[in-house]
Amino acid sequence: MTAVGDLAIETAGVGRRFGAVHALRDVTLSVPRGTVLGLLGHNGAGKSTLVNILATLCPPTSGTARVAGFDTVRQGRQVRRRIALTGQFAALDERISGRDNLLLVARLLGAGPRAARRHAAERLEMFDLTAAADRVVRTYSGGMRRRLDLAASTLGDPEVLFLDEPTTGLDPAARITTWRIVEHLAREGTTVVLSTQYLEEADRLADTICVLASGRIVATGPPAELKARVGGRVATARLPSAAAVTAVMRALLEQGLGPEYDPGRGVLAVPVAGPRDLANVARVLDVHVADAYELSVTSPTLDDVYLSLTQQPAAPPRAAVR
Amino acid sequence: MTAVGAPAGPARWHGAGLGTQLWVLTARVLRAYLLDPRLLVANMLGPLLMLTMFSQMLGSLARAPGFPAGVRYVDFLVPALLITSAMQQAFGSAVGLTLEMRDGIVARLRAMPLWPGSVLLARSLADLVRGGLQLLLILVLAALVFGFRPPGGPAGALAAGALALAVGCCLGWIFVALACWIRNAELVQSVAGLLTFPMIFASNAFVPVGGLPGWLRAVVRVNPATYGIEAARDLVLGVATPGGVAIALAVSAAVGITAAAVAVRGFQRRP
Repeated sequence: MTAVGDLAIETAGVGRRFGAVHALRDVTLSVPRGTVLGLLGHNGAGKSTLVNILATLCPPTSGTARVAGFDTVRQGRQVRRRIALTGQFAALDERISGRDNLLLVARLLGAGPRAARRHAAERLEMFDLTAAADRVVRTYSGGMRRRLDLAASTLGDPEVLFLDEPTTGLDPAARITTWRIVEHLAREGTTVVLSTQYLEEADRLADTICVLASGRIVATGPPAELKARVGGRVATARLPSAAAVTAVMRALLEQGLGPEYDPGRGVLAVPVAGPRDLANVARVLDVHVADAYELSVTSPTLDDVYLSLTQQPAAPPRAAVR
Repeated sequence: MTAVGAPAGPARWHGAGLGTQLWVLTARVLRAYLLDPRLLVANMLGPLLMLTMFSQMLGSLARAPGFPAGVRYVDFLVPALLITSAMQQAFGSAVGLTLEMRDGIVARLRAMPLWPGSVLLARSLADLVRGGLQLLLILVLAALVFGFRPPGGPAGALAAGALALAVGCCLGWIFVALACWIRNAELVQSVAGLLTFPMIFASNAFVPVGGLPGWLRAVVRVNPATYGIEAARDLVLGVATPGGVAIALAVSAAVGITAAAVAVRGFQRRP
């Protein structure tokens, strides 16, 4: 049990209808201060709607939400003083320079002209944008835009930072830079709410992952727990013939593994917890299968998470965060 | 990287005052014009084209029956162009606003501790600056090239310009309201275009109302632009009455305030 004062976000039965469409239903969660919440889901799962409700951009049609201790509907201004939002698209003015964008945000937050100038220069330096500072944002690459976007979001030292799909559309290098920035912010004590379609991203950044599907929370928990429920990594081997299957299966079972064989495709699948399991699988195959075979390890994807979570009616869909 | 978001940073800012909000947001829109003067040039060309076309095409109207006696067509036309140009400033702004709502900058601004109307009002103020520039250009060019000699004198012409800015700024909120509710740039452009057409042409802007069929005369009477054009024309022709100017201002203020309220509501409605 956490005391209310230690919660950055607390919602009770939050729902949002747009006409006849339920974009979000009955979302109840609580996020302790200084932690990272990952909202994982496909397009249309309700991630952006939830972020928008928490950032006071749209009121919920049912339920209540508190952010940084204030009600998002009745005390919107108090909430807005303590948050920053980086939307799905880089929230920048394309027609002015990077520096001017930062100055704009700093001045609007209430910094004087000189303080704004100083803080803008500081952020440009931190986010490695000094060289491009006075170029019009239209000429920036996707990664630079995202860095500027994050720089702008950190200007007021927000208590809660909302990032709506911060790496969608970025190249791998820019993605990793973005992750490092988020990790750094989290270490400094900022509560981060991050929506993403990538399990890998949520896994790396989030303390708690909340999986959304069709506007509902279908699972909540630490990444490890969630992945354990999905089943973790699987070693897959394509066997050239069915001759050795029985021997292989027996040997694997003796190792304490749980192999499954699909005779139609000639594929053997073995869930593996770590390198030792994988080595055992390799050894068994080496001993029992004479011909060449393929062996690969696959990680669960968002699709696997969805499949396993949405096809598990027995599992309680809504566990409290912590 | 050090100390990003560190709680030990500067005292937390609590949001700028309304004056600073408007100043900073207006400067943002104007800076974009300075950085891309093509926008400004394209914006200036429209009314100049209309000035050229209408003064040449319709000049003979001055000899038509029903046209006010002793008035030259260019003196009749220029005040109308002042009003319609000032009104159309918001047209471009509305499309720009729609694009920004799509792009996310508006979402960021809305998640900041600002008065929701200031983003819209700042655009309107920027339009006012741009509109002032444009009206000045129209007046100078009309006088230098098209023989515009207002009977009301330069003072009358400048007063008509000021009135046009006020009226145009108010009526322009109709476009802003459209943008806030439609939120689709192409659609805003089409609908605003559809609306502009009757607002400009179903008015007393280019022809005397007396020569129009009865039903059209009724449309002209409910068109708020008509009152602004009438008052601006009276100022240029030197026959203005305080009452006419007051009616023009009152009608456009009523339309403007209503449209602004609708706009702010739409703006806050949803992401």
